[in-house]
Amino acid sequence: MESSNRNIQKEIDEKLKDEVLRGALGRFSEAYPVSRLKAYENVEDIEALRDLVKKTKMDTVARIEEVADQFVAEATKRGAKVFRAADGAALKKYLIDLCKEKGVKRIVKSKSMASEEIHLNKDLTEAGIRVRETDLGEWIIGIAGHRPSHMVMPAIHLNRYQVAGYFSKELHTEIPPDIPFMVQTARKNLREEFLQADMGISGANFGVAENGAIGLVTNEGNGRLTTSLPPIHVAIIGYEKLIPTLKDAVPILRTLPRNATCQLMTSYMSMICGPTPVMVKKDGQWIEQEKELHIILFDNGRLKAAHDEKFKEIYQCVRCASCLNVCPVYALVGGHVYGHVYAGGIGAILTAFLNSMGDFEKINELCIGCRRCTEVCPGKINIPGLIEELRIRNAKENGLPFVMRNIFEVVGNRKLFHSLLRVASIGQKPFQSGKLIRHLPLFLSGLAKDRSLPTIAPTPLRDSIDKTAKNPLTPTKKIAFFSGCSLDFVYPETGQAVVKVLNDLNMSVVFPQKQSCCGKPVIGFGDIETTRKMAKENIAAFEAENPDLIIAACPTCAEMWKHTYPEILAEDPAWSERAKKIADKVREFTSFVAEEYEKAGRLNEANAGKKKLTYHDSCHMRRVLGIFKEPRKLLRSTSDYELVEMKDCDKCCGMSGAFGVKHADLSMPILSQKITNIKDSEAEVVAVGCPACMMQIRGGLDKQAPNIQVKHVADILAEELDKKKKKE
Amino acid sequence: MKKVCENWEPVLQTTTYGAEYFAEFEARAKQASAEIFRVNTAGEAKEIIMNLIKFTNAKKVVSVENPLQQASGVNDEIRSAGIALYTSQADIAEHAETADIGISGVEFGVAETGSVCQDAYAIESRLVSMLPPIHVVFLPSSRIVPGVEQAFDIFSQVFHHGYLSFITGPSRTADIERVLTIGVHGPSRFIIIAVDEPASGGVA
Repeated sequence: MESSNRNIQKEIDEKLKDEVLRGALGRFSEAYPVSRLKAYENVEDIEALRDLVKKTKMDTVARIEEVADQFVAEATKRGAKVFRAADGAALKKYLIDLCKEKGVKRIVKSKSMASEEIHLNKDLTEAGIRVRETDLGEWIIGIAGHRPSHMVMPAIHLNRYQVAGYFSKELHTEIPPDIPFMVQTARKNLREEFLQADMGISGANFGVAENGAIGLVTNEGNGRLTTSLPPIHVAIIGYEKLIPTLKDAVPILRTLPRNATCQLMTSYMSMICGPTPVMVKKDGQWIEQEKELHIILFDNGRLKAAHDEKFKEIYQCVRCASCLNVCPVYALVGGHVYGHVYAGGIGAILTAFLNSMGDFEKINELCIGCRRCTEVCPGKINIPGLIEELRIRNAKENGLPFVMRNIFEVVGNRKLFHSLLRVASIGQKPFQSGKLIRHLPLFLSGLAKDRSLPTIAPTPLRDSIDKTAKNPLTPTKKIAFFSGCSLDFVYPETGQAVVKVLNDLNMSVVFPQKQSCCGKPVIGFGDIETTRKMAKENIAAFEAENPDLIIAACPTCAEMWKHTYPEILAEDPAWSERAKKIADKVREFTSFVAEEYEKAGRLNEANAGKKKLTYHDSCHMRRVLGIFKEPRKLLRSTSDYELVEMKDCDKCCGMSGAFGVKHADLSMPILSQKITNIKDSEAEVVAVGCPACMMQIRGGLDKQAPNIQVKHVADILAEELDKKKKKE
Repeated sequence: MKKVCENWEPVLQTTTYGAEYFAEFEARAKQASAEIFRVNTAGEAKEIIMNLIKFTNAKKVVSVENPLQQASGVNDEIRSAGIALYTSQADIAEHAETADIGISGVEFGVAETGSVCQDAYAIESRLVSMLPPIHVVFLPSSRIVPGVEQAFDIFSQVFHHGYLSFITGPSRTADIERVLTIGVHGPSRFIIIAVDEPASGGVA
């Protein structure tokens, strides 16, 4: 499949205006997390179960050829005909030749995503064969002429009235928008198709090497009918569905239904091992025959992925689609924008491998890296990590877009970047009001519709810190402060607060002047070379100070130092060593201070203050660094505030670095939900541990609820210190 | 009749199972919209089926033979009530599509999920369980394994050829507006009759 000339922006705009879609997805994303957890109520250790899925699949992909050979041998031994199809063309040729040879005129299909991947129905229809999808959702979108918008609920974008319209058109009779009635109508209609079909085509949820069996889970019962009634059964199975033994199906069957549809088990789970009997009517008599079983083992990029050090991870996917169900961007735009059968984050990755990089390029920005999917994926796939890796490869292969290339040349050049930021602080003057820009020049106004953007501070932190730091004479620790761009140029007062809190702990703080941007926005677009350069500059700048610890008050900066620098420098032995060594010294601010306060007996979680305050968990703080208890301990120990939790406190605010600015249309509805949850909490102050979240939420509240304040945890701790000092 | 395993009882004995898991099995099966009746003797099952026939106004029943059903004597009762009953393979193939009720036996239940395991190698066992709008199964109430894991301990010893199914409640869909709707391609009612007494005097 070649890349298309799609206008993604236009498609996004259309989806954002689709009230039916927005309503359905909004309700679903609210209900899903609760229902999913309910389905796991009788699973003792979800993490252990997920680890088992991951391990089973990882062990399998490591010897995929051997497992595939055994699967083929065992299935063949039992009488199945197995064909290994290298790509869509080979699969179609085999299938159409088979249909011709056997005189197949009618086919019923039970969900096979692999066949949708190559638009098989179109080719079969062109070959003069009548093909019917029998899964209700698939059948609906088939008669509507749509593509699936979700891997498990393909027609989730339609409401009952729209469905009734398509039913009426297809059946040439007026069908009322009554769901049970429509379901019964579909049953009658499709029952005829089942009874008359010459061939049934199914997918498979797993294939077992030790006995050549395939397993299928369905709810409607179409899987059993498709594999039982017609005299020929063709199962299409991708290599990634293979498992060595029957028992390896256990962790899959214990997670797939729970994650996909919040069921403990689907209505039907069937396993077929070798050809089974079928009844055929000959000369008016029913006789039993052995069914013809064909298994098509489908490659189409899968074996290449199996041998890719990073992307073999896609074998851990069980196609439950839970990554879509928790994705804040999917909840806004649905599956169509992703442009292929595989939607959402995992879809972006599968699309790159099973279709083309060109398709990926158009949709890769739709991942905001909030990592909610990593918390639910049964196979523990690092979806955002793989998307980032794809961006890096994409940038290497195709280069960066011209504008981006220029921007990164600037960001990668510290002196130039910083001098431009200083110029910007003057250039923005006509538009600013207080700390936020209220009116932007025309071409930027779309960015600020429901959100004010911050101004660049007149004096960056780097120019003021030496004057304001009150370093103790005999410090217990020497701390080097990595501020990141936001605290340096946008929120220097928060940077000052960080210094104040650390000084109060009897630690000295230095600010290496040669520090630059952590590189996150650059690697976010796949420019790994520039990121490496920035990493080396930062590492050298901090080594020169020889500090005891390095503190970052931005979770993304901390993540870059702790995880990304050692990873991207891994191939260079000398730099790898330096990166690892310094990564050990890096600490995130709130967790470090909580630990120190605890040691000093300064934590008193009475939560006794009068003002209500709520805490927003930054995605990277919570899901990459695993820090969420520590800032709360600090906040509950303040004298002014009472910590109250808002709904979905750890759901993304929609900023996500460059995403929030580039895709303002998607970022805004996500922010709106956050603002609503903040208002509902009745808090007067929102505390954050991340400057980017602070920027986003401040901007949103400034426009929509200006009486609610947003403060970094460091600001709140510094206030507390000022208050104490006044009393003394 | 073709079966994946001729005698499941000795294989069950290689893993954990027993009537002590029945309560959980029953709760989970009900959660999945299965109807479940527990009876002491197979004879009591007869009454349940005859009532079902009466209240659904059923005219035609297809059934694959299983020991509990034979012990219940329900077949004679159905016939003497003037209801058409088909039990041979060719008759099932002819009549399953138009039958009102299908009856079959299942091998064991899974407490974790409320599923029953059907040895579905024989095509007629699949026809009676897929095509009619009501499917009734006979299950020995002592044959309940605690989880999916134990079920697969069993399968891995016996599954060398054929067709096995878990059935968990009736056929369902939520494909239109995510509204749960029962009875799409398979039965809209799934009824489990769990019998305490063993099918034959043999294994307790």
